[in-house]
Amino acid sequence: MIRTAPEETAGLKQGEGFLSLRGLTRRYGDFVAVDDFNLDVPKGELVAFLGPSGCGKTTSLRMIAGLAPSTSGHIVVNGRDITGVPPYQRDMGLVFQSYALFPHMDIAKNVAFGLEMRKVPKAEAAERVREAIAMVRLTGKEHHRPAQLSGGQQQRVALARALVVRPSILLLDEPLSNLDAKLRDEMRNEIRDIQKRLGITAVFVTHDQMEALTICDKVVVMNHGKLEQMGTPHEIYEHPKTAFVAGFVGRINRLAGKASGGVAEVAGLKVAAPGFNGPVEVMVRPHRVSLSTDGVQADGERHALPGTVTRATFAGDILEYEVEAGGTIMKTEAATRGGEAVLAPGTPVTLSWRPQDTYVYAAS
Amino acid sequence: MDERPISPVLKGVTLVMFLFLLAPLIVVVPISFSGDAYMAFPPTSWSVKWYGAIFHDAQMTAAFTISILLAIVVTVISLLVGLPAAYALVRLKPRGAEALGSLFTAPLLLPTIVLGLAILLVFAPLGLLGTFQGLVAAHLIVTLPYAVRVLSTALATLPIPVEEAAATLGARPLTVFFKVTLPMMRSGLVSTAALCFLVSFDEVVLSLFMTGPRLSTLPVAMYHHVEQQADPMVASLSVLLVVLTLVVVLIVDRTAGLAKTFVK
Repeated sequence: MIRTAPEETAGLKQGEGFLSLRGLTRRYGDFVAVDDFNLDVPKGELVAFLGPSGCGKTTSLRMIAGLAPSTSGHIVVNGRDITGVPPYQRDMGLVFQSYALFPHMDIAKNVAFGLEMRKVPKAEAAERVREAIAMVRLTGKEHHRPAQLSGGQQQRVALARALVVRPSILLLDEPLSNLDAKLRDEMRNEIRDIQKRLGITAVFVTHDQMEALTICDKVVVMNHGKLEQMGTPHEIYEHPKTAFVAGFVGRINRLAGKASGGVAEVAGLKVAAPGFNGPVEVMVRPHRVSLSTDGVQADGERHALPGTVTRATFAGDILEYEVEAGGTIMKTEAATRGGEAVLAPGTPVTLSWRPQDTYVYAAS
Repeated sequence: MDERPISPVLKGVTLVMFLFLLAPLIVVVPISFSGDAYMAFPPTSWSVKWYGAIFHDAQMTAAFTISILLAIVVTVISLLVGLPAAYALVRLKPRGAEALGSLFTAPLLLPTIVLGLAILLVFAPLGLLGTFQGLVAAHLIVTLPYAVRVLSTALATLPIPVEEAAATLGARPLTVFFKVTLPMMRSGLVSTAALCFLVSFDEVVLSLFMTGPRLSTLPVAMYHHVEQQADPMVASLSVLLVVLTLVVVLIVDRTAGLAKTFVK
């Protein structure tokens, strides 16, 4: 399990994690790029650092790799504090967004580089290089130069190069961002398959929530250098702890309201808001909102809000509506079944959703 | 290829410009094959005897050897000094790196005649005039700025993640430099070497101040030869120098072109 461990910030003993961060912090003058980051990654798990650019996810990864200094805090791998250890002694495999292959070496030499540095005997190194290249399905390309390969192939070489040394941890820094959409999906699954097969502990930095949700065991959502939430993809998506997480992971509708006595008043609706007082934001995901023309009434089962269609978008597999309701524009989407009528703008409708799909946050 | 019509005026201007640039060659090449005893254009008879004369002129061959040796030594030292300097400026970024960079290129802004005079005044009491070491030092003043400039640019355009990748794979900083950084700078190193070699080989003004009766560089020897005699040997020599320069430039072009194919 991933968990925050504030009580252990000073403790260097092995926590539950194979990789543990203890109060990891990076300051540039007054700017705090990473603020008191605590994390435990169990052996063999793939963890995503998810967040918008500048949230500190890449800085955190670079601190783990030893490429950026930390201002304070500790990095512990398998019980060993490696905070001050230089990158060349950390035993980590790093895959970059830009591939970062050695342009002057062929594929085999690129992959062999780490083994050469570790003085692995020639015959064994050759065999491991062959296996690694086969693992990323590039057998036959051994003597090509990186520039002769496609982006996806280059990234697979980078993966083989990082893994052939059997690092204790695999770090991936936006490895798919330079690839086109179709290749990205393929590579994503390929990375996940290889990571699982090798049982290697891995950190995957991304700004793409799809990548984080689909292939990672745990997701760490970051914003402004702070950890917003950690959890399984399901927890992050279904139970976002903060308004930021709700808005960043998946799509969301926002309604402004006011809470008192455990109930929030939003556009005439009464929404359960235990523990809230003052201005709140009430959120619901577009695909959890149903749209009907029969004038559904609010009851204990569903919240309901009347509105008017302002835009309808037929996107093939889904039908999206923008509806003016509750003083704002609410979005809905539903899978198309074929044969349904697309409502014209101006059509009066009722939006409804289940109370358990409703999120309430204090307004910022 | 996009074939856009080129205006006849532009074509004309280009032709005139090229004629202007190549005019010396148009005169020098025929004269180099002259059979006359004096430089005259057009020559009245043809011969390759002046090419042969170069190699029988002890002063010229000695000066040629000195020039080649000098250019090689100056190039090697420029690389050995320029590379660490460029690395410090670009990678370690000390306080005032930009000011330092400008300072290092300052000699290029001074007229060579001023530099020559200054060097003369400083070197004379040190007994460096008319010595090979003195020539090397004087030439370094003009080649080092080029070396630092070109190598800084080459270093600044290298992708840092490639070096970081090497570090995470277990390479120590020096190993990263020799196995990754230096090979990636190959085209920059070749152009720097070629530039330093040609600048040194071509240098006349500084050399005039530094050379003496027993030690002369090829351009200075040619200059003195023309002062005293008007035979076409200098023209033949010039053609040889043009060919040598062309070879160096071709090497650079080959390397830069090759570099593009795998650096992209």
